[in-house]
Order: sequence, then C-alpha cells, then structure tokens
Amino acid sequence: MKWITAGVLLGLAALLGLGIAGVWPRPEFPDPDPIATEWDVENAVAAIVLGVRLWDTLFEVLVYALAMVGVRFFLSGMRWQGILPPLAETPLLRRSADLLFGPILVFAVYVAVSGHIGPGGGFPAGIILGSGLLLLALAKGVEHLSTELYEPKLEGLEYVAVAATLFLGAIVLIVGVRSSAAFVAGNLLVALEVAIGAWVVVHRFASARGEV
Amino acid sequence: MESLSGLALAVALAALGLWTMVTRRNVLWKLLGLNVASGGSILFLVALSHRSGARPAIVGLGPSPAVDPLPQALVLTAIVIHFATLALALALVIVLTERRHTQDVKKLEEEG
Repeated sequence: MKWITAGVLLGLAALLGLGIAGVWPRPEFPDPDPIATEWDVENAVAAIVLGVRLWDTLFEVLVYALAMVGVRFFLSGMRWQGILPPLAETPLLRRSADLLFGPILVFAVYVAVSGHIGPGGGFPAGIILGSGLLLLALAKGVEHLSTELYEPKLEGLEYVAVAATLFLGAIVLIVGVRSSAAFVAGNLLVALEVAIGAWVVVHRFASARGEV
Repeated sequence: MESLSGLALAVALAALGLWTMVTRRNVLWKLLGLNVASGGSILFLVALSHRSGARPAIVGLGPSPAVDPLPQALVLTAIVIHFATLALALALVIVLTERRHTQDVKKLEEEG
C-alpha cells in the first residue's frame, strides 16, 4: 500500500513539474464584470454562488443542514452525566467576551449584508457569528449559554432558515428574479444557518466531552 | 510566479495528507490527513485562479484583468462542506470509540 501511495505522490509531483515547465498553456480569463452586472451585483463571486451556480449552493445548504442533523443525532445520547466541570475562566475573558460579542455580531451582519458589493457573503458571516458564540461559550459555559439562547427554538430556526433559503432559491430559479435584494436576503439566511450549525457543533462536542 | 509556488505548496499539502491517510492506523490521524489534503486541494484551486497583477473579481476595482471568480466560488462552498463533514466524521469517531474502545483500523477490521 505504501508503494502505491509513493507512486501516486510521485505522479502528483511529476504533474506539477510538467505544469511548471509550461507544458499546458494557461489562458487569460474572460472578464467577470458582465456576469456581475447581469445579476445586478458588484461581486462576481457572489453572482456565481447565489446566481449562476445557485443549484450548487442550495444543495450545499441541504448537505450542511443534514450533517448538522447527523452530529446532533450521534452525539445526543452522549451527554456528560451530572454537572459539566467548568472550564478555567478568568474575569478578563468574561468581560472581554461581553464587550466583543456586540461588535462581532454587527460585523457578521455587515459582512452578510454587503456580500454582494464587496468581499464577504453568508458563509464567512455565519462562521464569524459562530466564532463569537464560541467566545461567549468559553466565557459563560456551554450549557448556560445554551439555555440563554433557547436552543430548541434555535434549532427550529435553523430549519426555517433552510426552508426559506430553498424557497428563495426557487423564486430566483423559477421566476427569474435578478435583483440585489435577493442576494442580501440569501446571504442573511445562509449566515443564520451556518451560524446555528456552528453553534450546534460547538455545543454537542463540548457537552459530550469526557464521555468516551 | 506566486501562483506556481502556491501550486507547489498545494501539491505538497495534498501529498502529505494522502500519505498520512494511508500510513497511519488511527482514524483520528486519518481524518487529520484528510483535513490537510483538503486544505491542499482548496489552495490548488485558489492558486489556479490567480494571475500576477490581477485585481479581485469585484466591479470597479481597476482596469486590469480580474482573477477567475469560479474557483473562488467553488472553494467557498468546499470550505463550508468540509467543516460540516469533518464535524460529522468526528461525531462518528466518538460513537466508534464509545462502542469499540479503539480507534485503530487494523484492530477494528480484525474484530469484525
């Protein structure tokens, strides 16, 4: 097996060497500006993610939601028995988390809303918000934050966000709406879904720690 | 030229990840290898879309030619899916360790 792997690795290196030697020409790219203006946005990547290749994104949202359902399913029976041993925390962490979460939330919303005119979009915004929740969880404790966030309602909200994303995608695909408003709504919905999914991962893994 | 060094690093990362996936027997190490290999493939796509002196693919950022936005859009989805599938795989590893008390693939195969 190791020899096969070594062969595959050598093949990869040989392909790279051929590429560097200029065996394959690297053509100039076509101008992406017409794609962006056709979809009434300025960021060509956003025009591709939520416009030209919307099917990809819709199924990606579905795969993401299904993976989170799987994480929830497999780890739900593995709650830590009794009270979770608290993480070592400092007043500095608690205060800074309280101070920082507001700006992080605002920045995440900004990244989602401005994703169609500049760098940004729903996926990075969701991960920024998820990181903010991770910071709060480190400061306050995961279970405490989970009750503060009304987790069952939050999980319901995730399914609502997935359904709304699919509905919006259907409108864009079937009716043929090409407006930046659809991009803003799509980015916000995707950000919400990704953030809740990231929180599910943080919470489930944290509350199952020490079980195995 | 920066693009070529990016490609070389991407292939090196993919090779390292593939090597780890094949030679290590612990499933956690295999997942780590998959993670590194996936990072390599993501870097490969981004490096392919790069041209020296090109501007970002945003309208009105200059007269020079823009980079290719398609690989960047692919990578955007790939990163998120990678995060979700890695989380699911780690959850499965936790279940596996709970039930079989080992993460060694050879022992898992022998025990059936």
